[in-house]
Amino acid sequence: MLFNSLHFLVFFPVVVGLYFGLPARWRGPLLLAASYYFYLSWRPIYGLLLAATTLLDYFSGVRMSRLATKAERRPWLYLSLASNLGTLFVFKYFNFFVGATDALASALHVPFAAPTLALALPVGVSFYTFQSVGYIVDVYQGRLAAEQNLGRFALFVAFFPQLVAGPIERGEQMLPQFRQPHGFDYGRVASGLRLMAWGMFKKVVLADRLAQMVTPIFDHPQRYQGLPLLLAVAGFTIQIYTDFSGYTDLARGAARVLGYHMVLNFRQPYFAASVGDFWRRWHISLSSWFRDYVYIPLGGNRRGPARRYANLFSVFLLSGLWHGASWTFVAWGALHGLYLVVEAFTQPGRAALARGLGLAARPRLLHALGVATTLALVAYAWIFFRANSLADAWYISTHLFRGWGQLTRHEAVLTVGHFLLNYPPEAVVTLAAGALLLAVDWHQEWPAWAARWPRPTPAVRWAGYAALLLATLLLGFFNSTQFIYFQF
Amino acid sequence: MQKLLTQLMLLLGGVGLVAGLALAPALRRPYLDAFYARFTAPPAASLVLGTSRAAQAVLPGVLQARLSGRYAGPWLNYAFTLYQSPYGPSYLASIRRKLAPGTRQGLFVLAVDPWSLSVARPKVAGQALGFPEDQLMIGQLHQVSQNPNLGYLAHYLNFPLYRALLHDTATVVERLHPDGWLEIAMPSPLTTPARTRQREAERLATYRQQAASNQPSVARLASLRALIGFLKEHGQVVLVRVPTGSAMTALEATYQPGFDQLMQRTGDSLGVPYFNYAGQPYLTTDGNHLWRGAARKFSQRLSDDIFLLKND
Repeated sequence: MLFNSLHFLVFFPVVVGLYFGLPARWRGPLLLAASYYFYLSWRPIYGLLLAATTLLDYFSGVRMSRLATKAERRPWLYLSLASNLGTLFVFKYFNFFVGATDALASALHVPFAAPTLALALPVGVSFYTFQSVGYIVDVYQGRLAAEQNLGRFALFVAFFPQLVAGPIERGEQMLPQFRQPHGFDYGRVASGLRLMAWGMFKKVVLADRLAQMVTPIFDHPQRYQGLPLLLAVAGFTIQIYTDFSGYTDLARGAARVLGYHMVLNFRQPYFAASVGDFWRRWHISLSSWFRDYVYIPLGGNRRGPARRYANLFSVFLLSGLWHGASWTFVAWGALHGLYLVVEAFTQPGRAALARGLGLAARPRLLHALGVATTLALVAYAWIFFRANSLADAWYISTHLFRGWGQLTRHEAVLTVGHFLLNYPPEAVVTLAAGALLLAVDWHQEWPAWAARWPRPTPAVRWAGYAALLLATLLLGFFNSTQFIYFQF
Repeated sequence: MQKLLTQLMLLLGGVGLVAGLALAPALRRPYLDAFYARFTAPPAASLVLGTSRAAQAVLPGVLQARLSGRYAGPWLNYAFTLYQSPYGPSYLASIRRKLAPGTRQGLFVLAVDPWSLSVARPKVAGQALGFPEDQLMIGQLHQVSQNPNLGYLAHYLNFPLYRALLHDTATVVERLHPDGWLEIAMPSPLTTPARTRQREAERLATYRQQAASNQPSVARLASLRALIGFLKEHGQVVLVRVPTGSAMTALEATYQPGFDQLMQRTGDSLGVPYFNYAGQPYLTTDGNHLWRGAARKFSQRLSDDIFLLKND
């Protein structure tokens, strides 16, 4: 069931109505049943997988809670990790590694034959396994008391707003919330609905509109060079942000309506002034997961610069692989790892250069330069994330700035027109929606600046809500199959 | 809670009212896109089935003019595209929903060609061969006779609704008639031979790729047989091979050499006639689809042949 489907439009109000209508003790079971219904609507068989891994993690957690030392808990940790990561490996990575081994064996002229698996990737498997792994490691480390109630734990894993594409929540953040009763609160519910409406607008008006323009070019990049490729990369940079942050707003908004607070996953990432800053703003729940469960256990920055760089690079390589079993994602992760290593390595030199050029005395200009540079680097890396193959990514990389001299001004205008669906109102809609997105992000990034504006009257506010809904209905594309991050 | 519910009802009601008033005239127009009217039309008793070839080649209006005394109406061309409506369980289920209840004297024109009875070759040896259309419009849209069709508008319309308001969704080229015939309003191929040859070359290239990546499907053939079996209970079924350009006919002969014999045997075994018009000289826009003038002539020829059949 997609958030942007008629099915969800019926499902969600029914769940909310029942939730607030039922006595508090029935709300947990209702949410669990609703979450499994939500998940089973994709492919019922994978509900069994979700239930099986949930049971195993639950019992591992309970067993560990009764054991005093880490040594005693360790077998249960390993069992749970093997179950979660094994599931992920079989469904997501097996064919990729077989293919890579096959290619290596062919290159070395070594005979190799291994079966490939014809398995569909269970929706959300990367998210819920990481959430469960985080829980089990926290219990093993003694940072979190194991959840003793099976239903509550199952709800923690399967809570429908975040089940298929995060945010990846922590046990310490969510489990206490599942123990509390959540009554109806006008302000909270209204705020959740506003967040959902904004997420839907971003998804169907911006992300899916941009997809119409971006997809044909990324599917056949060799037909283009120069301006169309650059526009496609810029378009995808906005598409991936509005698609994923739109989903996250819907998820967080839905949870908020029901009374649950989920972590912030995006904080105006394209206003980041460095790549490190970008990763503190983009998919925050995944970045912090990798920081806490991979980077810090590897030694983090405590074992000298060389080890720190190696750790950074390894974490981002893994992060790339987490996104998809493909060399394009590995390359994307490696590129970001490289950015961060270079950024950390050159930091003293760049600071000295800024002082030498007098930029240190002009922090706003320095910040703006940082934002522009970071955006360009991140956008370049998105080529590898979106391209269908490394060859395509390489072609796009090497043809972004070719062929510009051959374009007449007239052809350039035609190209831009073609990119915007060759239909003038589309250009207007895209630019207007983009400007609204920028204004909202600007408002959130610099609240002091926004505070200078007078607070809108209720009439203006309600007119704004109506305009947003009407715009979503009339300007949105509703034929998109899913959110980009659902494939992970 | 009451305050919020009231506010929400006012907000959603207001937005719904404005949108409904604005969109209602646009959605009542006969043409919205290449598919919509087929899903808003009432259930039909006589159907033209197949892929885009049949969608563009067979005019129910022409069949009706000649054969309405013998077969029950309403008449509808319910053929879509090779991507959406190859023969398979989803298309069969959709046809079951579209057929008017209690139909006894219907006419069912089933356009067949090798592509509509093929599936993609498995990428991995031993991989189960599925039907991609199960996940597409034809497999997912359960309300096929609803006006306005909210399920279609919510999930399958290829453009935002505001474009329907601007009255420019009917391109100069493509127009879906209320009887389901998809008219492609291109100038005659005779007056644009160079452009036609270019389109033909492009179409052939696509189908050569199709030939390389697809294979004839036993499961699709079984679905076709099941469809014939079902429709025979409701009237007369005819299998038809729609004419194409000579290069396309040759490509199909290479792809599946025994196709006509297979269809003849299928028809014979189920007691339905097979009309094979492959290789007959009708004008096409791209070597694959009949030009609209040729489609009208072909529909007349088909109706004559069906008429004779009835007189046997």
